[in-house]
Amino acid sequence: MQIDIRNLSFAYGHRTVINGLSHTINPGDYLVIQGKNGTGKSTLIKCLLGINSVKSGMIFLDGQDSTVFKHWTRFGYVSQDFDNFNYEFPLTVEELLGFSTITKKSEKNYLKLLDQMGILDIINQNINSLSGGQLQRVFIVRAMLNDPDVLVLDEPTASIDKQNTEFFYQTINRLNEQGKTIILITHTDSLENMNYTHVLNMSIDLTTEILRRVEVKGVNSL
Amino acid sequence: MMLSFLNDLFQQDFMLRALMAGIILGALAPTIGSIVVVRRLSFIADTLGHFSLVGISVSLYLSTLGISIFFEKPLYLGILFSVVGGLLIELFRRSYKNYKEISMVIVISLGSALSAIFFSLAKKTGSLYNYLFGSILTVTDYYLVLILITALLVLILFVLFGKQILSVSFDETTGRFLGINVSLFQIVFMIVLSVVVSVLLESAGVLLISSMMIIPVAAGMRVGWSYKSTLVIAIVFSELSIFFGLWMAYSFVIPSGAAIVSVNVIILLVVALIKRIVLKRNISKLDKLKK
Repeated sequence: MQIDIRNLSFAYGHRTVINGLSHTINPGDYLVIQGKNGTGKSTLIKCLLGINSVKSGMIFLDGQDSTVFKHWTRFGYVSQDFDNFNYEFPLTVEELLGFSTITKKSEKNYLKLLDQMGILDIINQNINSLSGGQLQRVFIVRAMLNDPDVLVLDEPTASIDKQNTEFFYQTINRLNEQGKTIILITHTDSLENMNYTHVLNMSIDLTTEILRRVEVKGVNSL
Repeated sequence: MMLSFLNDLFQQDFMLRALMAGIILGALAPTIGSIVVVRRLSFIADTLGHFSLVGISVSLYLSTLGISIFFEKPLYLGILFSVVGGLLIELFRRSYKNYKEISMVIVISLGSALSAIFFSLAKKTGSLYNYLFGSILTVTDYYLVLILITALLVLILFVLFGKQILSVSFDETTGRFLGINVSLFQIVFMIVLSVVVSVLLESAGVLLISSMMIIPVAAGMRVGWSYKSTLVIAIVFSELSIFFGLWMAYSFVIPSGAAIVSVNVIILLVVALIKRIVLKRNISKLDKLKK
């Protein structure tokens, strides 16, 4: 899927967080969005995913205006700290994924994905009892159920230790090699483990900088 | 005491009706209640009950003016108002996304105010007690059929759309990426919840509906290891509380709804206590093993 962001601006009340951003994300791209807290990283992807309504500028998803876009199953989304999810109520991994398989496509993918992520053995566990890394992988499996074209991950390693972070990025790199477009937000992780194609730096003064991999200093270029 | 209760339970028509209504209610209330708890809207049943009361009071007022509506059965206007209340909550909830409880305070206040006005205009404030506390011992055959139909509707809804309802309840934001029309299912659930609340009004009363929905689920959460097990345990607790509640109401001549809710709370406390003791024992066993 091609994602065209054209002159996007967004404000919470009088506080502008995105100011005139334009960028095209091509199929197979691996975009890392970097920046300190409060620079509008999450806001940007929420605009892109139609969670925040775009009032200034436009976003085109395969040429279609995002405000009328309907095929959201082409996106997989893992939110920051799973903050949208109520995971205090008893629920097993199997139940969570079972009721997330709404489309026919997702029913076929379900066990295969758990196996690929190396978490088939925790299928009967209560999600309360999982480690940060296991929970993260469960939510990625859920985001992958419909075999989406684009995987959007907001601060995915926030609750994972260093060793699991490396394993996590290997998994994401592999998904990208398989053709998935990756959009990933981070404000702490180094780019070392990521096979990214582009980096978008967002600053508190509302300036943005888009660099291709070859333009990023200190990391071996492709 | 228990023997004469059991004897009357199967020989007295009103007791048998109460038991049957209780069994249906015992399964229906926690089933809907579990979704309400997951959606963190535990006060919603109270709110809808208060708004349903507006429908009942308006119906009573209209009958004093000689206007018959829904064959003089106030419950139907109650259901209609409860649905309106539910839709109002959903509307306000979207305006105050991070303050879900504000929407309920607005609707509960409006509901209380309007029902007080219309009960007073109808000069039937005396009947208010019945609607506030309900009575399962006085349910009619007609009411029994009504809650049976409601329970069947809820069952069909869960069989057909259980996945969607659970998905949206656990995680509103991600629903659309799984292929769910989130707004539609939120509204469908709100309508069903509103109908269930107003149907329960007659037997449980405005003030006790939410406890019948929420307390068994709260107890189930302490011991459940999955959604299904939590729900099954909650239903078992709920059925037990109805049985022993009816027995208490019969034996000590106290209001049935109040007795059922009291048993519910006792079960919750006992479960919490046992869980704490078991946890402490496990921790001390672990400590011994470490040494």
